[in-house]
Amino acid sequence: MTGDKQALQKEKLIVGTPQTLRETDFDPVGKSVVRKDVIPKVTGKAIYAGDLHMPGMLIGKVLLSAQPHALIKGIDISAAAAVPGVKAVLTAQDIPGENVFGIAIPDQQVLADRKVRFIGEPVAVVAAEDAFAAEQAVSKIRVEYEPLPAVFNPIDGLKPGAPLVHEKGNILYHTKVRKGNIEKGFDEASVIVENIYRTAGQDHAPIEPEAGFSWIDAEGVLNVFTSTQYAFRDRRQIAVVLNLPMNRVRVANMTMGGGFGRKDDVTTEILVALLAWKTGRPVRLVYTRHEAMLTQTHRHPTYVRVRTGANKEGRLTAMEGVIYGDTGAYSSLGIFVIKKMALHLGGPYYYPNYKSDSFSVYTNNPIYGPFRGFGVLQAAVSHEGQIDELAEKLGMDPLEFRLKNCLRPGLSFSTGQVMTEACGIGATLERLQQYMVENGLSFERPQEVSA
Amino acid sequence: MDENNLVKMTLTVNGEEVSMMAKGGRRLLDFLRDDLHLTGSKEGCGEGECGSCTVLLDGHSVLSCLTPMERAIGRSVVTIEGVGSPTNLHPVQAALLDEGGVQCGMCTPGMVISAIDLLQRNPDPTVEEIIEGISGNLCRCTGYKKIIFGIQHAAEELRSSGRTGMVKEATR
Amino acid sequence: MKLRGIGVGAMMYGLGYGYARPDFSATDIELAPDGTVTIWNGASELGQGLTTLLCQLVAQELGIPYEDTFIISADTGRTPDAGPVSASRSTYVQGNSAIKACRDLKGPLSELAGELLKVDPDRLIYKDGLVQDQEDPNRSISFHNLAGEMHKRGRRVRGSGYHNITTADVDPETSQGDAYASYAWASQLAEVEVDTEMGLVTVLRLASATDAGKAINPKMVEGQIEGGAVQGLGFALMEEMKVEQGEFKNAKLSTYLIPTAADVPMVEPLIVEVFDPTGPYGAKGVAEPATIPTAPTIFNAITNATGKRVRSTPASPERVLRLLGKLEEEEEETQLTFEDMPYPEP
Ligand code: FES
Ligand code: FES
Repeated sequence: MTGDKQALQKEKLIVGTPQTLRETDFDPVGKSVVRKDVIPKVTGKAIYAGDLHMPGMLIGKVLLSAQPHALIKGIDISAAAAVPGVKAVLTAQDIPGENVFGIAIPDQQVLADRKVRFIGEPVAVVAAEDAFAAEQAVSKIRVEYEPLPAVFNPIDGLKPGAPLVHEKGNILYHTKVRKGNIEKGFDEASVIVENIYRTAGQDHAPIEPEAGFSWIDAEGVLNVFTSTQYAFRDRRQIAVVLNLPMNRVRVANMTMGGGFGRKDDVTTEILVALLAWKTGRPVRLVYTRHEAMLTQTHRHPTYVRVRTGANKEGRLTAMEGVIYGDTGAYSSLGIFVIKKMALHLGGPYYYPNYKSDSFSVYTNNPIYGPFRGFGVLQAAVSHEGQIDELAEKLGMDPLEFRLKNCLRPGLSFSTGQVMTEACGIGATLERLQQYMVENGLSFERPQEVSA
Repeated sequence: MDENNLVKMTLTVNGEEVSMMAKGGRRLLDFLRDDLHLTGSKEGCGEGECGSCTVLLDGHSVLSCLTPMERAIGRSVVTIEGVGSPTNLHPVQAALLDEGGVQCGMCTPGMVISAIDLLQRNPDPTVEEIIEGISGNLCRCTGYKKIIFGIQHAAEELRSSGRTGMVKEATR
Repeated sequence: MKLRGIGVGAMMYGLGYGYARPDFSATDIELAPDGTVTIWNGASELGQGLTTLLCQLVAQELGIPYEDTFIISADTGRTPDAGPVSASRSTYVQGNSAIKACRDLKGPLSELAGELLKVDPDRLIYKDGLVQDQEDPNRSISFHNLAGEMHKRGRRVRGSGYHNITTADVDPETSQGDAYASYAWASQLAEVEVDTEMGLVTVLRLASATDAGKAINPKMVEGQIEGGAVQGLGFALMEEMKVEQGEFKNAKLSTYLIPTAADVPMVEPLIVEVFDPTGPYGAKGVAEPATIPTAPTIFNAITNATGKRVRSTPASPERVLRLLGKLEEEEEETQLTFEDMPYPEP
């Protein structure tokens, strides 16, 4: 720092050290101590993956599929490779190891080979001296597609004769939950409500779009600095694609600008590593917001049919449901998200009889994967709708009805698992009752307010 | 690189004179991040929607992703790097820290700059005015509440110590 | 006309992965001669505050100031593999492994302190920067001096902790079994105002009662609750990927709108603490629980206000007007019938 700059800083407004820093924090558990990472963040000094640079660094850029389902008849990279400053234009053929990855099951191509399955699937990747050349090169890659019939909805995807997204069929996973006797449960019910619920896809929209930086160090280790929720899984997957021993790949997480589930999956890591390995130069690959939204995962859209019964005393007797989850073109965590949804479709309540089925179905839509809430959020739209409607039909207070039916220590979940003392649902509902009293709130009151 | 496209960038950045030849036709955000390596200003969207690239240009907040770099010639730019230092936090930074208004931190630089812009125009903002002042800055982590309270506390701190016109000082 | 209503919603969430998926964590710690401690943990800091939380737990366990801890995280070249950061498992699994690392280090520490103080090592407690005999507090050595002595004598100054909550799998045909290591709980209350002319729903109030087990860092817990509820609010009222023929049509922040400061109420976090004996200091994760009930809570408030039930997300002005019978055309999805979605055979 220059002398001038130091002088300038002295002149600046200062309030001194923040309150929380002044204390000596013995026994910090239960105290709101100041975050370890906050000073770099408020001063702009924290280094995110997209902030990295090195002498000789190249800029990466990806070409995404424009077709939802098509055969690739040919890729012409000659014009792209001829753009001044372009150092690499890579397609599936250039992958040294296996062209495959996947968080749970490896069903996804790093770069599309012969076939694309969604709009936004990476087809080629470029490294160039600057962003301008990289963009130009990507725009000059010519891909010849032969469109195939496609499927865009999980219910259609299950119909006989539906176009197949993967050869093994469109059902990624079918979860069955069976507890008690569902017929008997509904026989005992005096009120039954049955509905269809639908939840839309949601984008995680972390403020930091996906970014990665890769270079080869003096020992020949391939380094990837990135924004990831699991560096070790990224390392495993990079090694397989690059045909390297796993201990010759290092993945380190930089300061992350949010993840919310999306960065649990591989994002830029394999592509940027591939570019660095092929060019021998440091490479930075940062997705634009639009690219990130097209190519990364999102929250599963779901379609649910469910019926729920309660007896005259206001106790739940049975629930039956079926879930169709759209997992998009590749599995990501689509098995487990939609499985978890089937288990949690009833919510935090005790059902002596419970039956649910969930289908996680491939389509030619964008990929849906893990997102804060992980299927349970979609399930909650159903179970809280059902519970509220039952309370209304029974003429019961919605909170009382929930308290009457919620799980307690000793009662069992949909899987038969018995709840322990750490079963807090009653406590949170009671906290809301108390809150309503404190704030003078009631479910019954004039709804209309003067405009 | 097109040699004809070089422009002479003469301006003040965080109080320091900058004078250099640079490739023109880019955004101010690129010039700051790629040429000056001031990476505190972030790119969340590149289309004027998220506010994470906000900087002060002659004391007023602008979105550097929508500002051609040439527009900064002869003017003064302040980025988050020019606002405070770890041992010398600006009241807005200190208040965000104290209040818990920082999670991933990606929105924070833009948020701090927008707050400073607001407080220099309006040293005693209401909550509604603070909300309006940062409504162009997206945050996906915090739910905004702790940021809003933080800015309110920073305003109190500044008023109680009789200081206003921060930007003039910060960009002198 | 403007109508107001109140609604509640609740949720439970199985923590961690369940059904035999690997669910573990590892943490290493090392003591420097000056008494400061470095922590290595392979889990990522996403912004949620995990690194801070682990430092708090280590400082608490060793009785040292929080400032004396420093953490290095998520680097395959430096840290042990600690599993992914997801499923609201970090507080729970990473936290337990950090505590175990401290207990591992306390073995050789107590051994030397016992020798120096001539006390049974099992009687030693770690508090306020001291290692002391719990029966005779005058017998004590400062943590700082003990650290120096450890190094001088070449004792082990590194501790490792490993925690594994991998469950058995559930039955493949019935899903019966102990699916998860523990469960998280939350309930929310919303008050909304519905503009029946414009279809606009304004959330006036959002209170979130979330069971944190034990709030290790209350402000960070509040931050998770407030931010989670706002993501849930976005899902409830505004966020919708418009995918047509496989194309994500609104894949830009100018067309895919997420909540701004002007769209949200001041979320009221109501932290509930039901001690979980399997969590670190009784704690469990809150990130997802804080997000899950928000949408149905808001929908139930809309019902309370208007008498109409929202069964599709989001409750956009268009959809609300349609529910109120003020827009003619039918939605494609509402044309789905029960026949399209048969319950599979038992
Ligand atoms: S990057 Fe400039 S507003 Fe988003
Ligand atoms: S703190 Fe993450 S976007 Fe605001």
